[in-house]
Amino acid sequence: MTDIGSDPILLADGLVKDFPGVRALNGATLRMSPGSVHALLGENGAGKSTLIKILTGLYQPDAGNLVVGGQPITLHSANDAAAAGIAVVHQERNLVPEFSVAENITLNRIPVRGVLVDRAEMRARARRCLDLLDLDLDLDAPVNRLSVAQAQLVEIARALSSENRVLLLDEPTSALTLQESDRLFELVRRLRDQGTAILLVSHKLEEVFAVCDTVTVLRDGVSVLEAAPLAEHSRDEVVTLMVGRSHQAASFEPHVVERDGPAALELDKVSTASGHRDISLDVRRGEIVGLYGLVGAGRTELAKALLGLDRVVSGEVRVHGQRARVRDVREALNRYRIGYVPENRKEEGLFLDQPLTMNIAVTVWNRIQRAFGYVPRARERKLVQEYTESLGIRASGPDQHAGLLSGGNQQKVSLAKWLAAKTEILIIDEPTVGIDVRAKSAFHQLIWQLAADGLAILLITSDLPEMVTLAERIVVMRDFQIAGSVPNDHDYERTSTAVIRLIHGSGSSNRKPYER
Amino acid sequence: MNTTEQVGQPGTDRPPPGRPWTVRSHRLPPGSIQRLGLLAIIAVLVFAFGSARSSFYNQQLTVFPLLRDIATFTVVGLSQMAALSVGHMNLAVGRMAAFSAMFMGLAYQDWHLPLYPGLAVGLAAGAAIGSLTGWIISATGVNSFVVTLAMDFALLGLVSLVYSQFSTTAAFTTQPAGMDGLRTYSLADLCAGNVCGSPAIPQILLFTGLAMLVVGYLYARTRVGRELLLVGSNIRAARLSGIPDRRRVILAHGLSGTLAGLAGFMLAVTSGSFTAGIGSQFMIPSFLGPILGGTLLTGGVVSVVGTLLGTALVQVIRQGLTTLGVGLESLDVYLGVILLLTLSAGRIGSVVSHRRAVKTR
Repeated sequence: MTDIGSDPILLADGLVKDFPGVRALNGATLRMSPGSVHALLGENGAGKSTLIKILTGLYQPDAGNLVVGGQPITLHSANDAAAAGIAVVHQERNLVPEFSVAENITLNRIPVRGVLVDRAEMRARARRCLDLLDLDLDLDAPVNRLSVAQAQLVEIARALSSENRVLLLDEPTSALTLQESDRLFELVRRLRDQGTAILLVSHKLEEVFAVCDTVTVLRDGVSVLEAAPLAEHSRDEVVTLMVGRSHQAASFEPHVVERDGPAALELDKVSTASGHRDISLDVRRGEIVGLYGLVGAGRTELAKALLGLDRVVSGEVRVHGQRARVRDVREALNRYRIGYVPENRKEEGLFLDQPLTMNIAVTVWNRIQRAFGYVPRARERKLVQEYTESLGIRASGPDQHAGLLSGGNQQKVSLAKWLAAKTEILIIDEPTVGIDVRAKSAFHQLIWQLAADGLAILLITSDLPEMVTLAERIVVMRDFQIAGSVPNDHDYERTSTAVIRLIHGSGSSNRKPYER
Repeated sequence: MNTTEQVGQPGTDRPPPGRPWTVRSHRLPPGSIQRLGLLAIIAVLVFAFGSARSSFYNQQLTVFPLLRDIATFTVVGLSQMAALSVGHMNLAVGRMAAFSAMFMGLAYQDWHLPLYPGLAVGLAAGAAIGSLTGWIISATGVNSFVVTLAMDFALLGLVSLVYSQFSTTAAFTTQPAGMDGLRTYSLADLCAGNVCGSPAIPQILLFTGLAMLVVGYLYARTRVGRELLLVGSNIRAARLSGIPDRRRVILAHGLSGTLAGLAGFMLAVTSGSFTAGIGSQFMIPSFLGPILGGTLLTGGVVSVVGTLLGTALVQVIRQGLTTLGVGLESLDVYLGVILLLTLSAGRIGSVVSHRRAVKTR
């Protein structure tokens, strides 16, 4: 099946890339063979993204060679890379939001008849690409109407649209559910068997071990493991190589959940304007309740309804036993002490071009302001410093812009503002997407500690291992309804099986997963 | 401002921070370099123009009117800055000034109000029309460019109509007591004992100073001002952080309208009458001051002092070229070239270095 000994289709040798003050790559080597799936692993900042950008012509290396199909090659632009048969799915969205699905998929090679776009051909091509992924999307829908997961799938479909020798997938599943990921990897295997060389960059080791044949591990810009058969290495070994020291699986001391009295947050047959029907769930002080479901099952929408961004049409939301009618986020925060850490930290959680102080203090000005809205700076700085220290946010100082922090630190900042606001109920949505292994486990520790400190936490995540690590109970949503709930005994096999069963549960659903 | 002291609270035995922040350690507030650069360029230009024509230093004929123009156009710039702070723009800044000035003219001529109550009426009118604009933008979700452009046309028609209805000479010429004084008085007319101010500095500059203080305090020190900046920085994140984004947009435009009204008043004081043409020259200069001074078109960053310096630069160049005897048509060409050079030098440099810093991540 795999032929590791054959001539590499792509060879990157001794790549060096400097940025002002940082050497991102320091002699990295990558060797990819046709008909094999190759994993590229490393923590954030190890140089993976830089390497990918060199392979796709976005950056030029300061030293080192690229050989594609036996020919030395220099890539000056993304077009050069495409011409060499290298396709990529970047971690960041690279779609034109206003263009339709069909237009985005065929963007590189829009079919024309004379001077006009051949729309029929364009749609046909796009349809073929979507069919490869078993995707049933409206070809004419503008991409900005799609969910994050759908957009990601469109992006993958686009990379499939051309006949490529090398396919680079940079965190392709960060917004996908297990089922969607499975479908993607099925396709990856099919492409592999047809002879394509595929590079997978992923933080999810489960999927790496499930689909990859060989692995290269980057650390500090150097390949510490080079094109090694993955079967010969255990997960622990790989993680040790990535981190540079041995990494232990997280296990936490159980903490006390307050069982007496009313729940901190209680939903009683809540229906919303966006289509939720009879949602009932409760979260107690000190408890982490997981909310799992397919993308599009209505989890984020439910969170937004609790913040007053969407209307509750029937049923009751109760906070500490009192009926709560939340009209906007300010009220959710000040009156009911509900905080929400959104799933897209860059778009919704942070002010990237503003200093840390502004990013964290935004929720406390209300509390610390004096006459005429005067904000006492010393008080503000002290508060910000307190939370950056207690969360271990690594920054050069309170004036550093949030956009310059690493993903893990950004996520901590996004969380810090709610802690500074002294929220009692915290809704955390996909907290560790795109965060490296070490930062992820630190973040898990943090969430656990917050619950131990008495916060009620509703955790939305598509990362099942994360769910099993953290949640006491896992509530499964399907089609804007509660499909059921699974007590978590922290046995991954048992719990995940029960969750997956609920998702596919009995009874047919009318709603297709990609509608909405 | 000193927050570096570790306050020895009993009972708090947090471990010492790995990397303590020292507020004193960072040298200057962000953007200082750019503003110092502007100041240096202005100084060089003043010296150059003065060396070429000594009449450039003439207090009565050059310095006094120059400072008066700087005073007015700084307020115009602040008006635009208020809209820019939330990432919007106000193309109707001139017409809002005309609208406010119209109310002031009416107040003085037909309602016989004294100077300051009349000014208050005009500012209220500016605030109202600005807030209305902001409300339309946030309620419809239409881009501020389009809404303020439409507002500009609507006000142009409205203001002309009112002037033709209510005045015979297309101007309100009634001047309340004290208005003429504002035009000509300099700091030489303000004395504390025997010490008087300089006759080169117009008193009208006090309005600018007051506006700068209020706006500067708002953005630098208050919760509302910061919330305006965050709305400009990322409106989705602002909403999800509990900032009432719609109200802030309305406030920004209301502030913009108020300041436009103040600028209209200052121009009317300078020219001696309230006409429909007030503010027709405001729109383009309104962007120059803030942008030269470091305010971002995309929102989230403003500079009050920068707006003053940017405006001063433009006016110094204009006045200098006039002193050199450059004709009116070629003046704008020279002005354009000089501005382009100034903008390129300061702005591009800082943008590039910022991009680099971001990209290395």
